[in-house]
Amino acid sequence: MSADPTAGAKRPGVPLIDGIEKVTGRARYTADLMHADALVGRIFRSPFSHGEIVRLDVSKARAVEGVAGIVTGTDCPHGYGVLPVAMNEYPLARGRVRYRGEPVAAVAAIDAKTAEQALELIEFEVRELPAYYTSEEARAPGAIPLHDDKPGNLEREVHHHFGDVSRGFAEADLVREERISCAEINHAQIEPHACLADYDPMSGRLTMQSVSQVGYYLHLMLARCLEMDTSRIRVVKPFIGGGFGARVEVLNFEIVTALLARAASGKVMMQLTREENFLTHRARPQTDIRLKLGMRRDGRITACDCEVVQRGGAYAGYGIVTILYAGALLQGLYDIPSIKYDGYRVYANLPPCGAMRGHGSVNTRHAFECLLDRMARDLGLDPFAVRRANLLRAPTRTLNDLMVNSYGLEECLERVESASKWRARIGKLPRGKGLGMACSHYVSGAAKPIHWTGEPHAAVNVRLDFDGGITALTGAADIGQGSSTMVAIAVAETLGVSIERVRVVAADSMVTPKDNGAYSSRITFMVGNAAIDAARKLKAILIEAAARKLEARPEDIECGEAFRVGHGAQSSLPFAEIVKEALVDRGPITVSGAFTCPPEAQGGKHRGGAVGSTMGFSYAAQVVEVDVDEATGVVRVDKVWAALDCGHAINPLAVEGQIEGSVWMGMGQALSEETRYVEGLPLHASLLEYRVPTSAESPAIEVQIVESHDPYGPFGAKEASEGALAGFPPALVNAVANAIGIDMDELPVTPDRIVEALVERRRRARLATAQRAAS
Amino acid sequence: MTLMPEFELARPRDVGEAIAARHEHAGSRFIAGGTDLLVQLRHGIDRPDVLIDLSAIEELGKITSGPGGARIGAGVSIAALARDATMAANYRAVKEAAEMIAAPGHRAMGTVGGNLCLDTRCIFYNQSEWWRRANGYCLKHRGDVCHVAPQGQRCHAAFAGDLAPALLALGAEVEIAGTKGRRRMPLGDLYVEDGRAHLTLSEHELVVAAHLPPDPPPSAYSKVCVRGAIDYPLAGVAVALGMNEGVVKSLQIALTGTNSRPFVLSGTDAMVGRPIDEAALQAIERLVQKQVQPMRTTNASAHYRRLAAAALARRLTAALGIGSRPDAAVSAVR
Repeated sequence: MSADPTAGAKRPGVPLIDGIEKVTGRARYTADLMHADALVGRIFRSPFSHGEIVRLDVSKARAVEGVAGIVTGTDCPHGYGVLPVAMNEYPLARGRVRYRGEPVAAVAAIDAKTAEQALELIEFEVRELPAYYTSEEARAPGAIPLHDDKPGNLEREVHHHFGDVSRGFAEADLVREERISCAEINHAQIEPHACLADYDPMSGRLTMQSVSQVGYYLHLMLARCLEMDTSRIRVVKPFIGGGFGARVEVLNFEIVTALLARAASGKVMMQLTREENFLTHRARPQTDIRLKLGMRRDGRITACDCEVVQRGGAYAGYGIVTILYAGALLQGLYDIPSIKYDGYRVYANLPPCGAMRGHGSVNTRHAFECLLDRMARDLGLDPFAVRRANLLRAPTRTLNDLMVNSYGLEECLERVESASKWRARIGKLPRGKGLGMACSHYVSGAAKPIHWTGEPHAAVNVRLDFDGGITALTGAADIGQGSSTMVAIAVAETLGVSIERVRVVAADSMVTPKDNGAYSSRITFMVGNAAIDAARKLKAILIEAAARKLEARPEDIECGEAFRVGHGAQSSLPFAEIVKEALVDRGPITVSGAFTCPPEAQGGKHRGGAVGSTMGFSYAAQVVEVDVDEATGVVRVDKVWAALDCGHAINPLAVEGQIEGSVWMGMGQALSEETRYVEGLPLHASLLEYRVPTSAESPAIEVQIVESHDPYGPFGAKEASEGALAGFPPALVNAVANAIGIDMDELPVTPDRIVEALVERRRRARLATAQRAAS
Repeated sequence: MTLMPEFELARPRDVGEAIAARHEHAGSRFIAGGTDLLVQLRHGIDRPDVLIDLSAIEELGKITSGPGGARIGAGVSIAALARDATMAANYRAVKEAAEMIAAPGHRAMGTVGGNLCLDTRCIFYNQSEWWRRANGYCLKHRGDVCHVAPQGQRCHAAFAGDLAPALLALGAEVEIAGTKGRRRMPLGDLYVEDGRAHLTLSEHELVVAAHLPPDPPPSAYSKVCVRGAIDYPLAGVAVALGMNEGVVKSLQIALTGTNSRPFVLSGTDAMVGRPIDEAALQAIERLVQKQVQPMRTTNASAHYRRLAAAALARRLTAALGIGSRPDAAVSAVR
């Protein structure tokens, strides 16, 4: 939507290589796969929040004609979970149920009607236990632990202390403390969860096609839960309609469908309803933050003391990583001399939380950026000046030992300050209109992988055969972010060939090399580097062949659609000729490229120190302009200026789209998105009640791409898909404060919250007047 | 995407056939755009054996106007109503209400009759069968407790149609067809304050048209929602204000989203002969705050809906009072 879509990066972008299939409707998503011969899977879910299973009788359901298979918790005694240290969940409940909506049994039948009929006949009784729906209830003395090994319902406590916090506060001219809370939100990806599992009893092989962002983890978890050899499993990712973290851990319905396929000796299609998507959840937890900052008169931060409580839901999932990220990523954006962090991840009888775009960083960043603004106001400083007083100087390492190798935040600040005409406009807007700003950052891939195997962090294979077509094979899951296009560009640019010559085959375990998946914004940095490495190896082979044909030294050969000696045109051969030469004797070529994060990039030695570690942080700044209707409380976002330092925009067009998407998703969290439960039942489980912004709310977003040329990134690139999200909610809250003089301490900033805050302010004003009159 | 129950589809050619079909099949329901009903069916709220599709009935699909006013067929789509020149010229509140309903897809399918007969809504009711069963059902459907007001005897589900207040403020009547022929009555008489049974239609009756009187005063409609599209109104207000030499000649204010029925605010007669000044606007706010009865049927608080309804009534009246459109800058904020 910006005037110049490639502003900053002076290169044209490349439309996504799978874009035409998507916009013409040719792309086949999981639910579009051929499943005429597949059974229909349905899940029986617990209507209870918390209870010991007393009776589960599926015999009447099994007797229904047309039912081909039923599975329950007894069919899978293996716990699963994304973190090897916290696999405390079963695909189908065993012994206890811990939230309303937890899968208890599943049916595969010849059609949906029969499957639903069978579900109706399942008999399920529990001995109910007390249920806890807030962090306070779950942590209260005497609360029954949801998991016997986790007293106090604490999944993980984190206590990190870097530098001298008490000295820092003593040296401060201003110390301010705030309590800020953020509602639980959900990814609300447009494509509902679905998978197609095909089990062949003759060969004992399982093929799973699923919406997963992490095919490799799914592969491992299927092998574990079904007690199958990994070599008998194939995992394929069809087109995906959005991930945002919803699918970065293996989800119960995927394992359940595989169990059903094996039980029924056939093919089972599982398509979850929107309500079931919300019950599956795994998104950003409800978070309470207490934050205290010390600041000198010039805006320099002296100390940070932060306590975070996350209501994580009933099972572990990614929870330990989320609570660690929330503390670790207090660092890496500004230069902060002392930090104390106390994090508490709490179990509650609600659907489990998980990873969501900006994983772990967003809510603490929100509190931090809101508080920075309020302190700037107290000290009479401009919000930009406060950020500028605390910039890092790359290369450096943070207090918690995170590497900062490139740092474009200063330029991001300059870009949005100037584009929004901040200096000329701030403080001069009419009543009800306001400007706010904030900064944010995110990792370009977790430098320490979840499963330590000793393998490289990423691997890409590149093939070349007689036809001259170059095929890049990657396990990386393109979930709409454009990762396959990125691989094509990386290979084409390294070889100097046209991108049309390059094809990408992605995410099919039978043919593509293993990849850890689409999470923590790792693909561009890691897979991009691996793709460049593979392409360089192919290039060396081609140059050698060209040197033979052109009778020149390899170092004088220029590689591309035509191979030349030096810069001269006198001796040049087309690509096809060089391919023929290269294939002589050796036949079709396959090369492998890899990328590994060195140990020094993998974070500090303290417990949990690996979380937050990365080879490169993206940096972002944004300015948000709002219009607040004081009568109805409706906040309208008029315009957003967003700048992101992604190191180098490999595909400026895609980077622009990702920045707009981040801003827009941050806007949803800021303005309208939240989950609500009544006794553990979701009141939000539809796209009517879960209020994702519509096109009517979408503001003009002016995007600025900043390139700081990271020394380790592929072509200097860093991540571009998450960094610009976390700045939006605080920029909006700061803009609302600027517009109506009220600091909102709760997200989202819905019309009712604004009106309640205004009513409260009027009440206090009346009270003050009355008191003055009385005295 | 819960399974759609099986049903037969009848497609009558005229209103008489439709009424006869409804009479013939005890477990039947009328369907027009289906934007409300189909969601309910998938939620397992209703299991009609026969759906009587009204879309082929020519009479229902027309808007006519003349010296006697305007007649809007119940089958006219919301989108067509929003585009209609007569509405734009004379019945502004109706056009504005139509334009604000849901999203373009809903407006293309949804009809005037469907919007007038929209089921009442509640966060404890508009849920899946699994959800409602896990919650022990509710007074509105299959259960005996209202989860909004467990001590009370009635259902508090709120009416959330946008067209009704606009038509009410403009003094509309509804034309109803039944086994005994046709009748006309004030639109307000179509509704009662009971979330479980808010329509006064008898079993085999069908709303066939709305009639608007001629020479209407200037009017406007507005509502509050969390989002600018899709959402049902948390509160919606229509105002029709006739002015004569700087004083009120007539003032009708109607509301939706706050009660189990849309209703006309009482007490506005007292404004006749007075100017629209700050005192009048405050009086209107007080009237609204007193008469609306929002309960905890939505995810937004009842208190907010009460305040917002009052604020909208004030804003629209102020805007009409100074002879400008509601989106013009007026002192609508205290």
